[in-house]
Amino acid sequence: MKIPLSWLKEHTPLTKSVAEVADDLVRLGHEVEGIETPRAGVKGVRVGQIVEMVSHPDADKLKLLKIDLGDVEHLGIVCGASNMVEGDKVPVATVGTCLPNGLKIKKGKIRGEVSFGMCCSEAELGLAEDADGLLILPKDAPVGEEVGEYLELEEAVLDLDITPNRGDCMSMRGIARDLAADYALPLIEPGDEVVTTDDSVAAPTVAVTASEDCPLYTACRIEHVKVTDSPDWLQARLIAAGLRPINGVVDVINYTMLDLGQPMHAFDADTLDGEIEVRLAKAGEQFIALDGKEVALHVSDLVIADSKKVIALAGIMGSQATGVTERTSNIILESAAFKPAKISTTRRTQALVSDSSMRFERGVDPAMIAVAMDQVAQMVEGLFGGKVSVTTSVGDADSLIKDKQIQVSMKRIESRLGVAVPESADAVLERMGFAIERHDDRLNFSVPSHRHDVSIVEDISEEYARVIGFDNIPAVMPSLLTITPRKLYKAVDAAVAGGFIQVINYAFISVDEQRLFVADDGEDLVLFNPISEAMSVMRRSMFPSLLNTAKYNMNRQQTGVSLVEQGRVYAGHMREHTETNMLAWLMTGDVQQDSWFEKTRKADFFDIKGAVELWLSGRGLTARFMADDNVQGLQAGQTANIFVGKSVAGVIGKVDGDVAKQFDLSDDVFVASINLDVLHAGKKAKFQPLPEFPSIERDLVFLFDKSTTSDAILQSVRKACGQQLVDAQIFDWYDGKGVPEGKVSLGIRFVLQDVKRTLTQEDSDKAMQAVIDVMSQKFQAELRG
Amino acid sequence: MSEIDSLKAQLQDLQTKALALFADASDSKVLQELRVAYLGKKGELTSVLKGVGKLPPEDRPVIGQFVNATKTALAEALDKAEALLSVKEKELRIEAERIDVTLSGRTATQGVLHPVQQGFDEMTAIFSHMGFDIAEGPEVEDEFHNFDALNIPAEHPARASHDTFFFHAEGDEEAKLLRTHTSPVQIRAMQACVDAGGEPPLAVVAAGRVYRCDYDVTHSPMFHQVEVFKVDKDVSLANLKGVLQHFLSAYFEKDVPIRLRPHYFPFTEPSAEVDIGCVFCNHKGCRICKGSGWIEVLGSGMIHPNVLKAVGIDSTVYSGFAFGLGVERLVMLKHGIPDLRLFFENDVRFLRRMGSST
Ligand SMILES: [Zn+2]
Repeated sequence: MKIPLSWLKEHTPLTKSVAEVADDLVRLGHEVEGIETPRAGVKGVRVGQIVEMVSHPDADKLKLLKIDLGDVEHLGIVCGASNMVEGDKVPVATVGTCLPNGLKIKKGKIRGEVSFGMCCSEAELGLAEDADGLLILPKDAPVGEEVGEYLELEEAVLDLDITPNRGDCMSMRGIARDLAADYALPLIEPGDEVVTTDDSVAAPTVAVTASEDCPLYTACRIEHVKVTDSPDWLQARLIAAGLRPINGVVDVINYTMLDLGQPMHAFDADTLDGEIEVRLAKAGEQFIALDGKEVALHVSDLVIADSKKVIALAGIMGSQATGVTERTSNIILESAAFKPAKISTTRRTQALVSDSSMRFERGVDPAMIAVAMDQVAQMVEGLFGGKVSVTTSVGDADSLIKDKQIQVSMKRIESRLGVAVPESADAVLERMGFAIERHDDRLNFSVPSHRHDVSIVEDISEEYARVIGFDNIPAVMPSLLTITPRKLYKAVDAAVAGGFIQVINYAFISVDEQRLFVADDGEDLVLFNPISEAMSVMRRSMFPSLLNTAKYNMNRQQTGVSLVEQGRVYAGHMREHTETNMLAWLMTGDVQQDSWFEKTRKADFFDIKGAVELWLSGRGLTARFMADDNVQGLQAGQTANIFVGKSVAGVIGKVDGDVAKQFDLSDDVFVASINLDVLHAGKKAKFQPLPEFPSIERDLVFLFDKSTTSDAILQSVRKACGQQLVDAQIFDWYDGKGVPEGKVSLGIRFVLQDVKRTLTQEDSDKAMQAVIDVMSQKFQAELRG
Repeated sequence: MSEIDSLKAQLQDLQTKALALFADASDSKVLQELRVAYLGKKGELTSVLKGVGKLPPEDRPVIGQFVNATKTALAEALDKAEALLSVKEKELRIEAERIDVTLSGRTATQGVLHPVQQGFDEMTAIFSHMGFDIAEGPEVEDEFHNFDALNIPAEHPARASHDTFFFHAEGDEEAKLLRTHTSPVQIRAMQACVDAGGEPPLAVVAAGRVYRCDYDVTHSPMFHQVEVFKVDKDVSLANLKGVLQHFLSAYFEKDVPIRLRPHYFPFTEPSAEVDIGCVFCNHKGCRICKGSGWIEVLGSGMIHPNVLKAVGIDSTVYSGFAFGLGVERLVMLKHGIPDLRLFFENDVRFLRRMGSST
């Protein structure tokens, strides 16, 4: 909300500088988003009097003016406007001035006549959107003075972010009240001149059927109004506060809303049929709002209606057909109280926001309903003439305005704040409108009608905290120690230690990407209001976002990437859904840069498998990899399920070539993912005595069918060797020259050891023979050399 | 010439020749051969000694002494030549093994943690050390935990400002949403405590992804928050300040001034926005802090009694503080990262650079 300092000063005699006021507002809980001096651009524009005006000899529409700026010589200016006469005072932009619209004034020749400046319109000064003709200044404007100073254009405007609980601060009066209380200055009450009512004007008839949602509705009628533009000072104020002038009556209402916080509305009385009714909307009712938007009303919407139609969505917006225009001569003014929750619900469901709804939602001061009505009626009558009726009032104004009473314990407040509350704080709160009676620890708190946000002891503790100042509350470490012992696994750390770069991707992907790896089974969690189609469904596979990240980087001069991501995948329905913690890897392209000691090579299946195995072993886990040709999105023959214990903990494989191509990846892409939630804790490392007796190492080389898996071979080897086998590894794999087609030569290295004695050559021979026999029986493997 | 003189001359001769050969030997292998040739069992000295038998017995000790002297002289000369050669050979070997020590070392490629992860880990570690327990919660939430229980009823203006992602609901299913903050974990942790028949004290830190339907230069639809709260008897605003001061100084690794500004959040009362002294200008005022010297880092406050009520904790007995902070924001401030979008573009050049700083 924009607060011109000069306007605040009408409510309390501030003397501090704008910077000081801004700091104090922050301390009081009003965020200052900026301090503007919006019309600083008119510097150099001065009040000038037209002392001579003749027509341009060569152009009918141009005038040659002699302007008195209070200087020794008069200024010659060529001007195209026609609304001025000799003797008028106008804003004159002298040579060198830069206008708000960016125009720089230079000495110039127009049709042969030299011009030493420019006379300005409101638009050129940035005071209005458009204007015809010059801005004619009042007769008493001092010649030569800066127009900015004269019109108070150069003042500071504070841009405040009013928190939603402080509806009372959405006005000059509200902000002034907080400041006045803090500075111990008086808050100037609004004028108490009574409007002269005219009994010849019939007061509007009002029926309130929805009294729950509209506890007070007041209306009055003003006849024979001549609606013109509002005066310049008023327009300038509205513009400074961020509102556009519309017409005299609407401007006065907006002015009063900004001034006192009470939103009002004016109807063109001649467009209404019969009496005014405040009720809930009927099924199927329609309404065309002021902004032209067609609104289908819900039966829960609170409306203002006449006998035939809805004329306003209560507290939010009037209808287009019944608004006040320049042609209006009879008006009905409305000033009312609407229930905040009602306004909020309709604002939300109808997606209609207005300055009025913003205030009603946050709570306005019911004490201002009558005051604002008086102010508007008086201003309308004073500025645009007319006869004012008495005000019709439906509802109990007194009970609305009554103070709330709260009993609180000062000890409780002090324990919540962690600081003793000085009695001097009471005086500040009393200036804000609270009434406080202290009886030892017990406080009787009287909360004024404008403070909707204060209703419980915690609210009062906040008021005290604001007044004491958060800076004056000490910093005290509380006693803390509530840790439940547990082991924390930081899954991604170990993967990073394995050489992978951690990435963090959005949890939503496109449906098309989802389908690359997950079949459509109705278990997608689809966003109702996604940012875009590319971010519309919660991912069920980690792979699409990793592929996108790989693509992004391979397009940026990388020759290979090794990525890891820890995150969740999501699936299910609204009633029941799952979120599973995953760790996923991706490798593509070069596994390392060319170096003087090693040449680069492309990543393959065993690179990523090694990474996964390394990661698992770091957690004390071993896995079995079982080939699976039916994993969606991954290539048959280079894909496996990862078993840890009996459960499938993940999948690993080469991304299908066509899929990789969709991500512009030309090298083979390998991915793996592990479900972190199914992994058990892994074996705790347990001490074992170091072996006392030496081990024996033996090698055997066999010819196997290529279809035989090393997993099956090593399992049989382990069985054949029994207890004495410490380790068996494939140390050589060869299918080159000398090896028959379809066969592979595998070298197996055995480490044998006995815990009780030194093994003999015979022992190891026996074990090797057992292996040779099993290999031959089970795999028809033939021992080589 | 007597037999003895002839032998002496022979020995003299042998010694002269041998010393010359020793001096000329080019490597230790040659020297070794010479040692064998002169001093070995079948060496020249031995063969000279064969002539001793022909000498008269009285001459034998004389010549024996002479032979021993020659033997000693040869052995010494050999040792000396060997020592000289080994020094020379070592020098040669060192020269031959000279390398370019400026070539890069053999290393495995180092991975890096994402800067958000680093921030996450640092922050939770600080809170964990302070005694806060670690909790987690779902990202797909319901309206109760994300809003209602946090004192943000449907008609509350604050609810609209959350830019919530909703899911397609079918039939009478209750609408689910992506949590807009980590505060629902606060509700879940308190509920879990009460449901298990427990009661405060509770001190919890919860970190995770949160979502807002807002995507531009300064907003990401997904980001990370850390939520911290404590509920106990007599928890005060002063305690909140104490924890904040400690945490922010620990995270930024220096004593940062903090400022609490009264603010409004539905789930806390009183509420405060927390500023730290600008880390770019050391609190003096610069472009980034808009000249104020302060930078807003998080929102905090005393847990609203309605929140405690929603989970069945008696607010007349217990009170608590809570705050939630944006991980990306703090990481950006700590490392001078200018653009939020960098975190989710995942450019490995950026990630490597940020990873090497720790
Ligand atoms: Zn700064």
